[in-house]
Amino acid sequence: MRNLFAFIYRFRAFLVFVLLESLCVYLIVRYNTYQGAAFFNSASRYIGQVLEFKSDITDYFRLTSVNSTLASENAELRKELLQFKLAAQADSASRLDTAIYAPSDTARVAPYLLHAGRVIHNSVRRTNNYMTLSIGSADGVQPGMGVIASNGAVGRVKTVSEHYATVTSLLHSQMLMSAKIKKDNTFGTIKWQGGDYRTALLDYVPLHIKPVKGDTIVTSGFNTVFPEGIMIGTISGVAKEQDKSFYTIKVKLAVDFAQLSYVYVVENTRKAERDTLELNAGIQTDE
Amino acid sequence: MNRFGIKHIAQLIIFVALQILLMDNLVLFSTGFCFVYIAFLLFLPIEMNRILLLFLGFTAGFAVDVFYDTMGIHAAATVLLAYLRPLVLNLLTPRDGYDTNDSVNLHVMGWRWFLAYALILILTHHAAVFFLETISLQEAWYTGIKTLFSAFFTGVVMIILQLLFFSVKRANR
Repeated sequence: MRNLFAFIYRFRAFLVFVLLESLCVYLIVRYNTYQGAAFFNSASRYIGQVLEFKSDITDYFRLTSVNSTLASENAELRKELLQFKLAAQADSASRLDTAIYAPSDTARVAPYLLHAGRVIHNSVRRTNNYMTLSIGSADGVQPGMGVIASNGAVGRVKTVSEHYATVTSLLHSQMLMSAKIKKDNTFGTIKWQGGDYRTALLDYVPLHIKPVKGDTIVTSGFNTVFPEGIMIGTISGVAKEQDKSFYTIKVKLAVDFAQLSYVYVVENTRKAERDTLELNAGIQTDE
Repeated sequence: MNRFGIKHIAQLIIFVALQILLMDNLVLFSTGFCFVYIAFLLFLPIEMNRILLLFLGFTAGFAVDVFYDTMGIHAAATVLLAYLRPLVLNLLTPRDGYDTNDSVNLHVMGWRWFLAYALILILTHHAAVFFLETISLQEAWYTGIKTLFSAFFTGVVMIILQLLFFSVKRANR
């Protein structure tokens, strides 16, 4: 017994080293997965406060670009609103007798709510990128919700605290996003390969389709995370490889992740209903 | 002992804050990362309790992990660094051993000693971080280049810190 203690004492440094390393490996395996929620992360209250303080300072240096983004978004929205107004003026259907006028199906009433949030921490150059938003469960944000910016899809909420949320960016090695080519509705999967933060890959587009450079890629709406038709990017290169039955398509992302300042968290009010239905039907939805 | 504790805890906080608030935004050509917080471990006194060193390493790495959302990766790398530090110090012992007032200081120990000491440890740490981040050995050459370039970057920043804050006067005392 004494020998054992002597042995432990002699190799104490090594044993502590092994102990700490195994703790680290446990942490990596347990919390570093794409979906795994961590207790300690940038959404937790005090960490969020530090990050918000930092962003309060650095945001002053890019006020001009933030303002111009918001202004162009306003212009875009006003343009759309104007079109609706003109259409409403020209449309006489609403004045018809309700017995004749059949309202469109309920699915067309958008079940999506948007929560605006400020990005207080962001990274684009790591292998697995995350961002932190200054809105949390108090504002209605829940894990698993989609996040979009004014010009395209951004990512998915990973964890939330009361006032902060951590978002898995599209620039994450394990993030997959269901997408489709807008012109012919061919669907595929968007995946980021690392390296350049402006380009991603579109996988699983079969060879009989003819995608060309410049085609628009949008979200497919096949899952409850994103509404259908949110911009992802445009095709910047199509390659056919010898031994593959799918194209290798490079997509230039619409969102400049390095410039994000305000984003919207998408709440799907019918998510629970649709998810239980699909679960009961035995459909495995990925993502 | 008590003064030692306060001084080094202050250093720990300063280095981690420097890492999170400033160096986080400073990435050269998307490959050069600067993990300057490990300077805290490298600049600790030469004679140190190895267990305490391991725990300090874990604390520093864990603090950075929490802000970077990379749970465990930096902690694992810094614990490895803390474990290797005494071994590297032994390896680099001058011919007549360390003097009592020797510290990790460029002016006291000389350029050759400091560069060898810092580069070995920085390279190990950065390699650990980047390979743990990708897990697979795919694109190993890219990760390798990233490691080399980042280690060079961190090394230069560390030398600048030495030249700025570790004065010759203190060394001659």
